[in-house]
Amino acid sequence: MGISLFGIAERNLRRKYFRSIAIALSVAVVAGTLFSVTTVMESVELSLKRGTARLGADLMVVPAEYEQKARAALLAGEPTTFFMSGDLLRRVRNVKGVKTAAPQLFLQSASYACCDVAEARLIGFDPEVDFTIAPWVKQRLDRPLGPKEILIGREVTYDVGGVMTFYGQEFTIAGYLELTGMRFLDNSIFMPLDTARRMIRESASKAKQTLTVSEDQISTILVQIDPKYSPEQVAIYIEHDIDGVKAVVSEQVISSVRKQLFVLLRSILVVSVILWVMALLMIGVIFSMIVNERQREVGLLRAMGARRRAVFGLIMYEASTLSIIGGLIGIAIGGGSLYALRNVIRTSLNVPYLWPEADQFLVIIVLCLFLAFLTGVVAALYPAFRSSRMEPYAAIRKGE
Amino acid sequence: MIEVKNISKHYQAGGQAVHAVNDANLHIERGEFLSIVGHSGSGKTTLLSLMGGLTRPDSGTVVIDGVDLWSISDDELSGFRNRKINFIYQFASLIPTLTALENVMLPSAFGKWTGDTEQRARELLGLVGLSDKLNSYPSELSGGQQRRVAIARAFINEPEVVLADEPTGDLDEDTEAEIFNLFRRFNEEKKLTFVLVTHSRELAAKTRRQVRMTHGVLTEN
Ligand SMILES: Nc1ncnc2c1ncn2[C@@H]1O[C@H](COP(=O)(O)OP(=O)(O)OP(=O)(O)O)[C@@H](O)[C@H]1O
Ligand SMILES: [Mg+2]
Repeated sequence: MGISLFGIAERNLRRKYFRSIAIALSVAVVAGTLFSVTTVMESVELSLKRGTARLGADLMVVPAEYEQKARAALLAGEPTTFFMSGDLLRRVRNVKGVKTAAPQLFLQSASYACCDVAEARLIGFDPEVDFTIAPWVKQRLDRPLGPKEILIGREVTYDVGGVMTFYGQEFTIAGYLELTGMRFLDNSIFMPLDTARRMIRESASKAKQTLTVSEDQISTILVQIDPKYSPEQVAIYIEHDIDGVKAVVSEQVISSVRKQLFVLLRSILVVSVILWVMALLMIGVIFSMIVNERQREVGLLRAMGARRRAVFGLIMYEASTLSIIGGLIGIAIGGGSLYALRNVIRTSLNVPYLWPEADQFLVIIVLCLFLAFLTGVVAALYPAFRSSRMEPYAAIRKGE
Repeated sequence: MIEVKNISKHYQAGGQAVHAVNDANLHIERGEFLSIVGHSGSGKTTLLSLMGGLTRPDSGTVVIDGVDLWSISDDELSGFRNRKINFIYQFASLIPTLTALENVMLPSAFGKWTGDTEQRARELLGLVGLSDKLNSYPSELSGGQQRRVAIARAFINEPEVVLADEPTGDLDEDTEAEIFNLFRRFNEEKKLTFVLVTHSRELAAKTRRQVRMTHGVLTEN
């Protein structure tokens, strides 16, 4: 058994248990806040990107007066229905810069006896031309959907092969979409347009509640553009050529969310910086105290041959150990509360939400740990330096 | 072995200059056993810490084994202390978080040492009569026991010079005699140079050479 500087440092940390814990916890608060904020930001960013990638549409054409509702539906999956004439599809296809256009019809399941799932969005798509859902059906299903078959979003809590009833009709679940992070897609039920139209027609006789949507109506037209044009350009062409519609640019929806979140982030960031400065000051003061009351011991160590560097290292080792422990605690608590509050966060931010991917998560953790480490190091730097520079005899006399 | 030349150290206390050590000269041969006597506040501890390189003199030089302590770097001086010099302090000087055994071994943390330090620490603690207290913390030891741990620690690096400041201050007569014999044994067997500050005339009388401090002035007795 030898005796090392690290051994001495660890004894010192255990000596004043409560004080060590106080230091670690103040670092934990800073690291935890930062970790939570960046994790939320990263996840939101990621799920927005993934969601729109899955949506696959550059533009979404909706009735002009429903633009806000359409955005809300797209981003937060808020239940809305709106309709416009199916004729518009042909006109949109003729607009300059439009490569493909596919209609979708949004229906809402009523909250009483008619349907198994209340308040679910039913999305009718055209299997011939749809480029958001249809490709998925081809890849994973390898056959067209039958007249009594539906697809479900990943968060609809039913199993493949199960049966769901909507407006008096039974449907078999043929498959589900991958998780996208967008509630608009994850909580919806998908069926071919023909199936949806038949359900509407027959709702008069089969369901307690009748759907009143006429044959040619659709809710939205999803547009893929010719890469020679920008989405903004094509949106202007569409709005110019066709009265009464609005072309929502998917990217812009995301950037507006980014802007909102940026405001939120900034205020949390200000709080984090204040917390950090406070933690720095507090730990700095505590370490000055620690160094002061241990000056005599430092003098004794110097007298028996400890170099300045060793004394400095001893104090820095204590500080960085505490702050890394604090950082780990903070990240654990931050991660735990994010997990516990994930639904609250999702609804209050009003955006789709997922955990960041593993490698990004790791980067966030490493960065937060590094900041925690830095906190201790910066706070203890001056006390450690001063202590190590003191003349041994003066140091030894100090405690007398 | 030790060459103290025209060394002075003063302190500023309450607007007044205190000449703790005033132009002291001292030559000590290798293996000498020397005692320093003097009234309280006459500058004995200050002289000892000047000789051990713990505090920088206002003027004068200290040369040990051909090395001028205040002309080498702080790192070199630290290493020099670690290898060649050891101290026994007038006051409690153990690290409270370490056991008796660990306290004795502590100097080995600061240098490249060969040999079994722990074995040697056990032997030394045995020599000062503390074989049964190896794993006790300072707070669990009496004042005299703590002092004996500090004494054991002073020999852990097999130093060439030991500077002892009233090392037997709080020991009973019998223990004092035992410890003094131990000092003499190390002094004789290992050719160790020993400087002993003491208030006890009896103890001083047992050493071959005595010097006296009076208001910072050093005189041969
Ligand atoms: N750091 C200091 N600041 C001011 N004065 C000091 C300081 N250190 C020592 N002195 C003064 O220097 C003088 C010598 O002190 P020193 O400790 O060397 O005496 P001493 O001979 O060891 O006394 P004692 O026998 O009581 O231990 C004293 O008058 C003391 O007040
Ligand atoms: Mg003294």
